[in-house]
Amino acid sequence: MTIADLYSMMPLIVIAMAPVVMMIVISILRNYEVIYGFSVLAFIVAFASLFFTGSFLPRSIEPLLIVDVYSLFFLGIIIASALLVTILSHDYIGTLGGVKEEYFLTLFTSTLGASLLAVAGHFVIFFLGLELLSVSLYILVAFQRSKDTSVEAGIKYLLLASVSSAFLLFGMALIYTGTGTMQFAGVASLLKGSDAIAGFVSVGFSMMMVGIGFKLALVPFHMWTPDVYQGAPAPVSAYIATVSKGAVMAVLIRFFFDIRGYDSRFFFVVISALAILSMFIGNLLALKQQNIKRLLAYSSIANMGYLLVLLLTGTDKGIQAAVFYLISYFVTTIGAFGVITLLSISREETEKIDDYRGLFWTRPWAALVLTLSMLSLAGIPFTAGFIAKFYLILEGMKAGLMLLIIVMIINSVIGLYYYLRVITSMFTPGDDAGLPAISLNGNMALVLITLGILILGIYPGWLINIITRLVSL
Amino acid sequence: MNFFFYLAAAIALISTIMAISGRNAIHALLNLIISLLAVSVIFYLLDAPFIAALEVIIYAGAIMVLFIFVTMMLNIGTEKKIEKRWLNPRVWIVPSILAALLLVDFILIINGLQIPEPVDETLNTKQVGISLFSTYVLAVEIAGILLMAGVIGAYHLGSQKKKVTHRFLKK
Repeated sequence: MTIADLYSMMPLIVIAMAPVVMMIVISILRNYEVIYGFSVLAFIVAFASLFFTGSFLPRSIEPLLIVDVYSLFFLGIIIASALLVTILSHDYIGTLGGVKEEYFLTLFTSTLGASLLAVAGHFVIFFLGLELLSVSLYILVAFQRSKDTSVEAGIKYLLLASVSSAFLLFGMALIYTGTGTMQFAGVASLLKGSDAIAGFVSVGFSMMMVGIGFKLALVPFHMWTPDVYQGAPAPVSAYIATVSKGAVMAVLIRFFFDIRGYDSRFFFVVISALAILSMFIGNLLALKQQNIKRLLAYSSIANMGYLLVLLLTGTDKGIQAAVFYLISYFVTTIGAFGVITLLSISREETEKIDDYRGLFWTRPWAALVLTLSMLSLAGIPFTAGFIAKFYLILEGMKAGLMLLIIVMIINSVIGLYYYLRVITSMFTPGDDAGLPAISLNGNMALVLITLGILILGIYPGWLINIITRLVSL
Repeated sequence: MNFFFYLAAAIALISTIMAISGRNAIHALLNLIISLLAVSVIFYLLDAPFIAALEVIIYAGAIMVLFIFVTMMLNIGTEKKIEKRWLNPRVWIVPSILAALLLVDFILIINGLQIPEPVDETLNTKQVGISLFSTYVLAVEIAGILLMAGVIGAYHLGSQKKKVTHRFLKK
């Protein structure tokens, strides 16, 4: 390993060092504000180091990692989202009793896992990154030991994620049996010779899809999603919906494009089926939800279904659209969960849609952000979600995926119903149900998110330019 | 030669099925140990003695024994009754027979019956160590962080405010 290799891994090294340093700090002085400040600082340093890393790219650290501009982009999205989640968590976690500094430590280890997925070029890193992410998430989901729903969600996530990891690992082993290599590039070059994926390898790919489908909460592997989102602390739900899914998407896109999965009939059928099922079932089950966290859980299932369409385009433009979609989805989802987090106290979350009745009259600012997030998720013009969907449909049409695009448009209409239901609830008269005041910290995060949604919705050109110039595989 | 493989594989299958269908936790764990031992014999047959040893030491040895201890310590009820239940032959007779069969299988294998020539040259411990600390050193470091995350989680989730004293430590 050369010094340039180390430089190119700078963001990862910063994120890996942070929890170690934090543990030393905790052993000397256990202070919530100090640890919080340090985490924010460390995430900012990690983000800044991305620009420094840029000059050493692309670089592949044989045989495990591939650090290129594509992975750098995902690292940026992941670190920025983790930073936003950290800021939003401050008040929520601060009101918990007992020791709570471990929250930030685990946030760093899980972010490291997610970042590893973005740079993975080998099954070993793929699996270790996923496990690091999952193990940290078990802790985060069950972080509130005293709350029954939180522990229930933790156990559910633990059991199901372990089973899905086992599937993934078995799939990797079968592919290794068939091809004799665990590097993405190696698997790809061996498959290129043969047209059909057969035998061990095809079973292996199917099992890997089960594991990945679980992490992305695609139908029919979605059962855990609503319960875990509901039981987990609200900022952690935001984290699962964004960072965890985005990272798995990053590795899925890289692997899928490496092996040219879009050319294979087998993958085409499997991915299309998963996408169509996720869109329909995610949206239909969201219609009658009374709990906003469950609603967002189903909405995230549907959104991952939309994203799968771009996998099948098989072009660089498709990847660029996917990156843009993920950025806008991240901003929007963190916005929605952010409002929920800031209006909740850790013991009693404000999670029923009825709790938001009259919010517009009592808390116009919070209501505005939540309204914007919902409009963006629904894909209304002048929000980030509209441009993202527009871009997605454009690329899908170019690739001739008419059926999937039609299904997606039908589902966008279904989605409108439940997103607007949240908004109408906020505008119906009601009284202030004693929601907590939003601190300066939280307001800053909300301002950032609002600006993000609006800028991406009104003037997305600069970001699309950057993405099209830089991102490709 | 194949006979030894099939015997070990059959033992692995039977004990695994019994492990997942057993209602008694101790039952299931004993069967699981047998299953892991059988897998380790299969590894040995495949000319991978290092992995076979690891399987025995880590899975059957450390993890499963820990499981059994925890299950035994957490069992609630008067000690006499539990002891009687554990000494009941129904609990240990099947795992013991399977273990004995496995032992016979293993002794026959190492006693002169030659192992088929491996496809590649045998991987020895030294090579495993060298590749872990050169090519895959990053993976080892990440595994270290993974363990750290586990320890932090165990510490956080394990430290409760509610004091629960173990029944042996009471009084």
